Amino acid sequence: MKKPVLFLTALFACLGLWGQNLSDLIISEAMPGSPVSVADDYGNHPDWIEIFNTSQGTVSFGGCFLTDDRTNLTKCQITKDDRSTRIGPRQVALLYAAGNSALGTYYLNFTLPSGGTVYLVSNDGRTIIDSLSIPAALPEGMSISKFAHDNKEMVFDDIHSAAPSPLSLNGRHEQKSRAQKMKETDPKGWSLSLVAVAVVFSALLILFLIYNLSGNIFTGRVRLKRKKRSKAAEGPEAAAIALALKSYTSGEDDIPAAIALALHLYCGSGVHDTEPGFITIKVNNSSAWADKSLNFRKQTHKI
Amino acid sequence: MEQIFDSLVQFWQFTGFANCTWQHLAMIAIGAIFITLGIVKEWEPMLLVPIGFGIIIGNIPMFPGMNIGVYEDGSVLNTLYQGVRQGWYPPLIFLGIGAMTDFSALISQPRLMLIGAAAQMGIFGAYLLALAFGFAPNEAGAIGIIGGADGPTAIFLSSKLAPDLMGAIAVCAYSYMALVPVIQKPIMLLLTTKKERLIEMPKPREVSQKEKIIFPIVGFLCTAFIVPSGLPLLGMLFFGNLLKESGVTRRLANTAGGPLIDVVTTLIGLTVGASTQADKFLTGNSLKIFALGLVSFVIATTCGVLFVKIWNLFLKPERKINPLIGNAGVSAVPDSARVSEVVGREANPNNHLLMHAMAPNVAGVIGSAVAAGILLGFLG
Repeated sequence: MKKPVLFLTALFACLGLWGQNLSDLIISEAMPGSPVSVADDYGNHPDWIEIFNTSQGTVSFGGCFLTDDRTNLTKCQITKDDRSTRIGPRQVALLYAAGNSALGTYYLNFTLPSGGTVYLVSNDGRTIIDSLSIPAALPEGMSISKFAHDNKEMVFDDIHSAAPSPLSLNGRHEQKSRAQKMKETDPKGWSLSLVAVAVVFSALLILFLIYNLSGNIFTGRVRLKRKKRSKAAEGPEAAAIALALKSYTSGEDDIPAAIALALHLYCGSGVHDTEPGFITIKVNNSSAWADKSLNFRKQTHKI
Repeated sequence: MEQIFDSLVQFWQFTGFANCTWQHLAMIAIGAIFITLGIVKEWEPMLLVPIGFGIIIGNIPMFPGMNIGVYEDGSVLNTLYQGVRQGWYPPLIFLGIGAMTDFSALISQPRLMLIGAAAQMGIFGAYLLALAFGFAPNEAGAIGIIGGADGPTAIFLSSKLAPDLMGAIAVCAYSYMALVPVIQKPIMLLLTTKKERLIEMPKPREVSQKEKIIFPIVGFLCTAFIVPSGLPLLGMLFFGNLLKESGVTRRLANTAGGPLIDVVTTLIGLTVGASTQADKFLTGNSLKIFALGLVSFVIATTCGVLFVKIWNLFLKPERKINPLIGNAGVSAVPDSARVSEVVGREANPNNHLLMHAMAPNVAGVIGSAVAAGILLGFLG
């Protein structure tokens, strides 16, 4: 039962993704043919339609339909399985509405309808992805274009006639590169240089401070306070130490040594120093069973 | 008979002889010089020999459209060139550098890290000059990075900022890296006194394994948070070092610092060389780039040495630094550190500066990667 559900979920997810990709396409510009218009491979100047990929991924429009007739959405199909129908992120493709689709992949079997609408239809032949209305009175040498008020969001809500810009992003909102902006704001380069030098020094200065501190800690020049250790010893060890000190101060010299020996045995490999009046217990928490240095890390040598 | 003659004529038109120009011959001669320097003088042979032969490969005159040139989509050379073009060879080289480099010198004397920062002035000096020469800011940034004396970083940044200039920039960077002993020594002698060259520095302390393991993690976090755009280079550098120092990934470290870096170095050298086709390389811009590259090396060395001299004014006599290690702030590892050692021993045969010089040297690698990240962030 689970397998079909998973399969269907995956299928719908894939279909959703696929559909979402096609929905990123728009008809961004169209222009009736004129002598000043784009020339095709045959040297003609047919009507043309520009399709723009608004997404950040590559989208293939092979198999999709273009039509000028709302009642016939499958009027002209773009060739399937043609790699050239893949549009890169934020890239465009140009289709010629020459009235003869036999001329090539990018040719349509209709011309631009003056006063009509062009539809881009998904490859299911039913879903209209986008449309563009062609004004009846489009000035000579002008195209009808969609503009994005915000190139980051890619919302093309501004449609009007403009100077044709085939195969390029429409509009006044040409995005300047950072280098171009830098050329305007810092033509001599001093600001960038000063900032960059400061950042490089800061980065290495921070590293210096960190490693200086860690070096001091590792070499013992700086000791981290161990709050837990600074607390008075508790439990049987504390009681034993207290007993040993009491015995020592009362003149029974052999008792502290016996207690220290007992503690030494109790703590495994613990030892005590010979400083009079103090007993230092060094606890080794590791057991020989867990100590990897005693078994796993041993190198084996061939004899 | 006439058909045979036509075929021979057609064959002749496809040969290199028919398509040869003086520019091709000039570039082949340059390639031969690179190979000669690499083999006879042993100046960076692992770089100059592949680059030199790559230059010859890239400048064999050929009939265009045969889909074999480095700039022709889908050709074998073009496929290999994608590692340079898309900038994924340099981070792999950084992985290998990290896996080979012992940062103990730096960890034991972290104050020397600042010399590595001072020597990065060469990058920004060259950037300012390139702008004055009329280059666009992105091109100037790509040219400036030559001053970092770090071939992979130069390729990485130029592939992002100015792909058209990448061939000239890469060849320039590697050429001057090979010439580090020739360029740096006179500047070091000029800027230091005999007394300064005799300064003996205290022996660096031993560094524990724990410190070595912590170094790449902390180092990466600090630098990557400050300059995230340097992530590909910094990430791979510190990752490679962690593989080396962790002690439990010896096989990975050996591969990264051995076969992997060898393969990538071979491919990067060959394809960078092949990308210097005469029509793209023999231009006025290339000459300007070579001039700016030389100036950037001079500025970097000068700033490193002067920085130490100025710093010494504020240090106690027993903590003074030999200014001969100032040149090692550029990231030509370990060539510039070797220059410090050689010049230092000429002044005092018992004064070994190599270990001290390695500290600013590896700091220079980090510094140039940070600088590249900044330039990419501002201009990319």
